[in-house]
Amino acid sequence: MSDKQDDKLDAMLRSRRLEGASPDLAQRIILRAQSLPQNRRISPWQWIRQLFAEFHLPKPAYVVASALVLGIIVGASTPDTTVPRDEEPASVQSFLYADEIPL
Amino acid sequence: MAAGWAEKDDQELLALIQEGSHQAFAELVQRHTRRFYRLAFHYVQNRDTAEDLIQDAFLRLWENPANWQPERNSKFTTWFYRIVVNLCLDWQKKKRPVALDEEMPLMDERETADEAIMRIQEQRLLEKEIAALPERQRTALNLCFDEELSNQEAAEAMGVNLKALQSLIMRAKTTLKQRMKVYL
Repeated sequence: MSDKQDDKLDAMLRSRRLEGASPDLAQRIILRAQSLPQNRRISPWQWIRQLFAEFHLPKPAYVVASALVLGIIVGASTPDTTVPRDEEPASVQSFLYADEIPL
Repeated sequence: MAAGWAEKDDQELLALIQEGSHQAFAELVQRHTRRFYRLAFHYVQNRDTAEDLIQDAFLRLWENPANWQPERNSKFTTWFYRIVVNLCLDWQKKKRPVALDEEMPLMDERETADEAIMRIQEQRLLEKEIAALPERQRTALNLCFDEELSNQEAAEAMGVNLKALQSLIMRAKTTLKQRMKVYL
């Protein structure tokens, strides 16, 4: 008896009265939205989250490895201009002793 | 181009809505209006009111797209069901008691006049008794008997676990069985 009641109640709940929506409901909502501006104000917390998201690296290991390889390539291909050449010490000396009268 | 929009999932559409895309919003509205309308109608039992509530829910989403946070909300529909339920409950608090439409569905051609009257009375009583249930039991019932929503999704929409949802349903059905004895 109770099972029958359960089944009947389930059937009634599944076939509850439903009046169909207007066919143009979705269109009305879409048109109404076109005249409304979006509120782009965000809370300070959301702003901080977005800021951190800007620096988010999707695959940090790949990024570090790529940067390392790139650094080695750039370093190896750049001409070495930091080591002093032979003439340079001489030119510095000539600068230092420029006031001395040559004998 | 239209096919392109249809292929996008809800999360992708929401990301585009956050960038101000009207087309993405249109696709989302067309995709989900009917199911949310059905839920709202079961709460308010009036077409115009249900349509107004659904419009309100979607326009709130459009105006404040940042309210949707994919990392916090598991699924759009689950999140939006909650919004619609809250709007319906707010409406009911202001407008209680729910006024059932006098215009009930027309007779089915296969049934006699007596059967039709009986069915209409049955439906009226059922809606009246559902409206009288405690808020959480009513919400559980409305969500669980929606064919597009699994019990797990209904539980998520209510913010409870599956067991708690089943318990709410059981209590609601026990109450309804007692109150609708004549028709069962």
